[in-house]
Order: sequence, then structure tokens, then C-alpha cells
Amino acid sequence: MADVVRVVAADDPLRDLFSPAGELTAEGRSRLGLDAAALRELYRNMVLIRRADQEALNLQRQGELGLWGQFLGQEAIHVGAIAALRTTDWVFPSYREFGMAMIRGVDPADMLTMFRGLSHGPWDPRKYHFAPLAIPVATQVPHAVGFALGCRLKHSDEVVLSTFGDGATSEGDWHEAMNFAGVFKAPVVFLCQNNGWAISVPLSRQTAGSIADRARGYGFPGIRIDGNDVLGVYAAVMAAADRARQGEGPCLIEAVTYRMGAHTSSDDPTRYRTESELEAWNAKDPIARYRAWLEQQGTIDEGTVAAIADAAESAAQAMRARLTAMPTPPPGEAIFGRVYSNPPEPFLREREEFESSLEGS
Amino acid sequence: MADQTFRLPDLGEGLTDAQLVAWRVEEGGRVEVNTPLCEVETAKAVVVIPSPWAGTIQKLHARPGESVAVGEPLVTITAAEAAQAEATPGTLVGYGPGAPESGIRRKARSAPAAAESSGDVRAAPFVRQLAKDMGLDLAQVTGSGPGGRITRADVEAAASSPAAAPSTSIDGERRISVVGIRKAIAKQMLRSVSTIPQFTEFAVFDASKLMAAREEGKASGRSMTPLPYFIAAVVKAVRAYPLMNSSWDESRDEIIVKQPVNVGIAVNTSQGLLVPVLRDAEQLELTAIAEKSALLIEGARAGTLPPNQMSGGTITVTNVGASGPVETGTPIINPPECCVVAFGAIKPRPMVVQGQVVARSGAWISISVDHRIVDGALATEFLTALVFELESISA
Repeated sequence: MADVVRVVAADDPLRDLFSPAGELTAEGRSRLGLDAAALRELYRNMVLIRRADQEALNLQRQGELGLWGQFLGQEAIHVGAIAALRTTDWVFPSYREFGMAMIRGVDPADMLTMFRGLSHGPWDPRKYHFAPLAIPVATQVPHAVGFALGCRLKHSDEVVLSTFGDGATSEGDWHEAMNFAGVFKAPVVFLCQNNGWAISVPLSRQTAGSIADRARGYGFPGIRIDGNDVLGVYAAVMAAADRARQGEGPCLIEAVTYRMGAHTSSDDPTRYRTESELEAWNAKDPIARYRAWLEQQGTIDEGTVAAIADAAESAAQAMRARLTAMPTPPPGEAIFGRVYSNPPEPFLREREEFESSLEGS
Repeated sequence: MADQTFRLPDLGEGLTDAQLVAWRVEEGGRVEVNTPLCEVETAKAVVVIPSPWAGTIQKLHARPGESVAVGEPLVTITAAEAAQAEATPGTLVGYGPGAPESGIRRKARSAPAAAESSGDVRAAPFVRQLAKDMGLDLAQVTGSGPGGRITRADVEAAASSPAAAPSTSIDGERRISVVGIRKAIAKQMLRSVSTIPQFTEFAVFDASKLMAAREEGKASGRSMTPLPYFIAAVVKAVRAYPLMNSSWDESRDEIIVKQPVNVGIAVNTSQGLLVPVLRDAEQLELTAIAEKSALLIEGARAGTLPPNQMSGGTITVTNVGASGPVETGTPIINPPECCVVAFGAIKPRPMVVQGQVVARSGAWISISVDHRIVDGALATEFLTALVFELESISA
């Protein structure tokens, strides 16, 4: 990708894996240690999450979800990053990391309950080592750093993946977290999904210079990679996580990708971006690209591709069926239920007042 | 078999209505779950609504151009028997408070003694501003919101009540709301005539050879309309005059000459004029041009073409007066292109051949070009080349 340029520093742990243009080299690829089954699994996961993402948008258009934020086009980052981590490593996501949670094993229908207004936090973060989705921009980044320092205090070998978008890097929270992580060498991997747009604000109106370069100022390495190459993302996150695990501190990975869909179901991107930009990125589609490479290597055949597509279709239908069959919790329980373990008196009164103001349910 | 009515959901966090742009299905048609039903335009976006159920379309409740309130019926579907059990509508969340099927009803609070005096009007600041701008006294408006609060819709309704400003009909005028394709055409045409200084030239060509080639094709089993011949001739002429396949880049004072020849084909459809694009026409043989253009035209008429097949053209062909007495017209350039070519109907005309007036098949061609890029002399050369190509067709 000609538009992906990075500065290779002497202390860059990924120096040997990537070309100066941010592409995974043949040498880097051979060092990944992924066998054919593992390579196919990456493909399968990208197809599964894309189909689920489309179904979630359909459900929103059908009045079944209040809101949906697609991650179409960013599947390589979701899949590559999670595959590179141990299942004990933690993830602190933004709101667009549905695919990552799905690959970690969180039931997609459960996840969607948040967008259906049925729950506030649909899974146990301790079970999946996956923190709740953060809707406010960049608030999860300081959480991730604090949690990473906690891991070190516990002498655990867990590392933390902090994911965010390009827009988050303009937030104060982000700067504070990066600085803290650099000073205290927190075992954290910062993964920026630079998808070109912060809602309707293009990167050029958001950030001067490169996001990856900012890491240098905080005293740790930064690298810019092709975010539409699943193996490249895998390699980068793997190397950065190893480094963090060995106590060498954080790393910032700027994965350059493109948000092919709208910001959310409430947004109309045709008002602010061009068809030609979309077409150019369509040609770099992470799934089509990876599939072409697998076919060329003889690692996947048509039958497997068709079987994976079928599996993704069934999974999407099962997700729809399970979600739409879920009972609606009583409103009082949904709003007040999980706030206090021992609710104080005024809080209980408030709940009663609220419930008595409703008729039926 | 059970009928279920799908009501318009709130598609974008707090919307109250949407305008129906176009149906993608017909009454009596079959749909599966997620088959596209229609396009609607909300205050935020144009979106496609996929079917929530499988079954047969029983009734479409709105017509294109009409506004549908959130929670109002959009379409009634008779569920396919197998799908009936799962098709029972559950709790729909995307309807906002107060919609009929939200499952939660607010208990009527103490009677809304709405707006008894102007000092006690309940309305949000922006609604007050709106009323002020419209010259309305809020004390005279009945609130329909919670607790008798006056909403934006109340103010707008009051403002458009007969005493104020009727918006649908006055003195025999009828107002047609402009949406979808009509709106897109209006925008594109306005952009053309307000930004491109364009001029038009005309020619008549002898279509004898073209008609002979068609006859010969028909005899060998491949019937073809004149359109593929027109497109092929335009492509050949464009190769000789690449400037006709270009764009004016306003921002940089540059002319962008396009390498591929992507031919837009203007198609009259029930929805309005659409221009599907035949890509890389310079790489296609005549039969491929015929097949692909036929598919594009069919797709445009059926309304099934994705947006990327209706954009990216570099030159457009259209026709004028395919039947009837009209011979030609002045086509308008489809921005950001440089040239549009219009073909008239081929019919017998008097032509002078070797000093004698004889009846021959012929047709008018007109081209409109961007004068910033092309001067009259070059346009004439291009049109001459085009006529030459059409008159040298061999079977």
C-alpha cells in the first residue's frame, strides 16, 4: 500500500517483520508459525463477523435494535489482533469491537442486547477477559493502562490490548494514558484502528502528522501497518504483546484501514465522502485479499469457502432468532437492578416511584 | 397464514418520520427475511429497509413521496407458513416512546392542563424560537407532547393550518414533493447548466450500412438494436479525440483525461431518467457491448442496479425521439463529463447521392460539449469522425 508509510526505528521490535511501507514481508510471514488450519481459521472468523455485522444492521433497520455501528472493512484487525493474544490477555475495546468480542467467545446475541436496550453490560468481563464496550471516545484507554499496571502488581503474565479509533487520539484521556503507560512501562498494546474518519471528520482535519509517530514522544515504539492485512495485524500484535509480556513496556500500532460503512445506523456517509474513495478501498477489501492469497497458496478451496459462507449464514440466523426471542426485562429491573448490591433507601423509593409511573409492561 | 404489519421504526435515534423514496417490492410479490423492501429518506440519511419476515407482500401502505410517521404501517406481509412461528413480532425497540407496539405504556399523568395562559406554556427553547420565527403565539397552540408540552410538530401543524399557509393546494395549484431520483436529476442538471459552459452541434448520418449490418446479424440469429453500434462508434471516435473523454478539475485548473471509456447510457424508466454505466467499453467487442448494455438497461428499468453501476461514467449517450416526429434535441452534459451524444431515430430520409435525391435510412446526432475543454473546431472534428465511423460499419 503506497499510502502506508512508517518510520522504522532502531528499537522497533517489529523492524524485521515489516517492510518500510508497513507490509508484512515474506520473512515475517514465515516466522508467524501458523499452519494451514490456523490460516483458514483467520479467514473463517473474518467471514463470520462480517455476516453477523450485516445482520445486526438489518435488525436495526427492522426496528429490532436501537442503533448499530458497523465495522465493515475492519475485520482483519478484529481477527488478527485477537488471534495474536492469549485468551488470558485482556481487551479494553471501544464501541466498534463487536467482532473481537465474538471471536473471544461472547455470544453475539447477548452482545446485541446492549443495542436493544435489554442490558447495560451483557457479559462477564472476568470470564472472557474482555471489558465492556466503551461508548464515550477514549475513556477505555486509561482503564486499559491502569488495568495493565494492576496485572504487573499481581505478578501475572497477562497483557492488555487497548483498542481505539483515529478520532480517540485527539482526546485528552488518550494522551494521559499514553504518557502514564510510557513512564511506568505498562504491559499494554495500543492498537489504533485508523479508519480514516471520526464520524464525518476526515483524518486530515483531526491529526497533523502520523499517529504512529506520536509514540516516540511518549518514549516507546510506534509502527504504522496495513490494517487490511490480517497476517500483518497478527504479526504486529503478537510481537508487541511479547514485548509487553517481557516487561519492556508498551507499543503503539497504527493499523491503517477504512470504515466501509456509516459511522452508525444514524449516519449518512454519502454526505461527506466520495464514491471514488470508497471504491479505492473496496479494492483492498481484507477478506477478498486474504482469500485470494489463501487460494494462491492452495490453503483453501472452493468447497471450504462455500462451507464457511454457509456457517456464517446459519450463525447470523441463529443470532437473529435468539435475540428476537429474548424476553424484555421489567423496566425497573433494567434501570435500577444492577446499581447497588445493598440499595440505599432513597434509591429504592426512586425505583418504586418509577415503577408506579408505568402501566403494564 | 397470518398477516403481519411492519411499522416504520425509528431508524436514527429520535426521528419522528421518514419519506418513502421507492419501493423495491410489489404487492403480491414474495420476500425472504432481509429482502430489500424500500428506500426511505429520514432527516439523517437515505436507508434501505430489509424485510423482517418471509412471506407474500399483502399491502404497501405508502406511496413514493409520502411521509410516514414512526410507528405507522409500512407494509403488510402474509407470513409463509413455515416461518409463521418465528415471524411473530417480538418487542420492537426502535420506535421511541409512546409508539403503539413499544410494549410499555405511560400511565396518564394528571390531566395536561396545557398552555392555559401564555405565561404557562410548556415548550422547549428551540420550539419557542421556531414559533417566534413563524410568528405564532404559543398560547394558541395545543400541545401533544408529554404533560401537554408543545412539540415542533405541533408548531408546524399550527403554522400550516388553513388560516396560515396551506402547503398542499392553493388556487388549483398542486404541490409535488421532490424525492429520490427526481431530486438527484434536478441536482445533477442544475450543476451541469450552472457550472459548464456548453454548446451543441448537429449532424445527420447515413445509416444504410448500420441497417445492413443489423439485417445481416438478424439473419445469423443475433438481433441487435442500433445502440451497440452507436456506442462502438462513439468509443472509436473518442480514441481518436481523447479530450472528449475528460473532466474539468475546477479546484486545480486542470483537465483530467480519462483512460477507460466508461459509457453512460441514459435510460428512461418509470422512476425517471437513470444513467447506468458500461465500464471499459474500449475493451469490449460489439457483441459484448450489446449484451452488457442490455443487462444494464434491464437492471435500470427494474431498479435493481447498485449505485456503483450508475456512477463513474466518462461520456454519456442518450437518444431523442426514438419514435414519432421529433428529430433531435440539445442534450445536457452529465457532470463531470465533457461530452454527451444524442442519437435521433433512424428512418428513411431524402439524401443526395451522386447528385440524385434518394431515400436512405438516416438519423440526427447531436453532441453537447464543455467549452472550457473543447472548442468548436475540435467538436466538429469529433462529430465528423463519429459520422465517419457510423457510415463505415461493415457487417
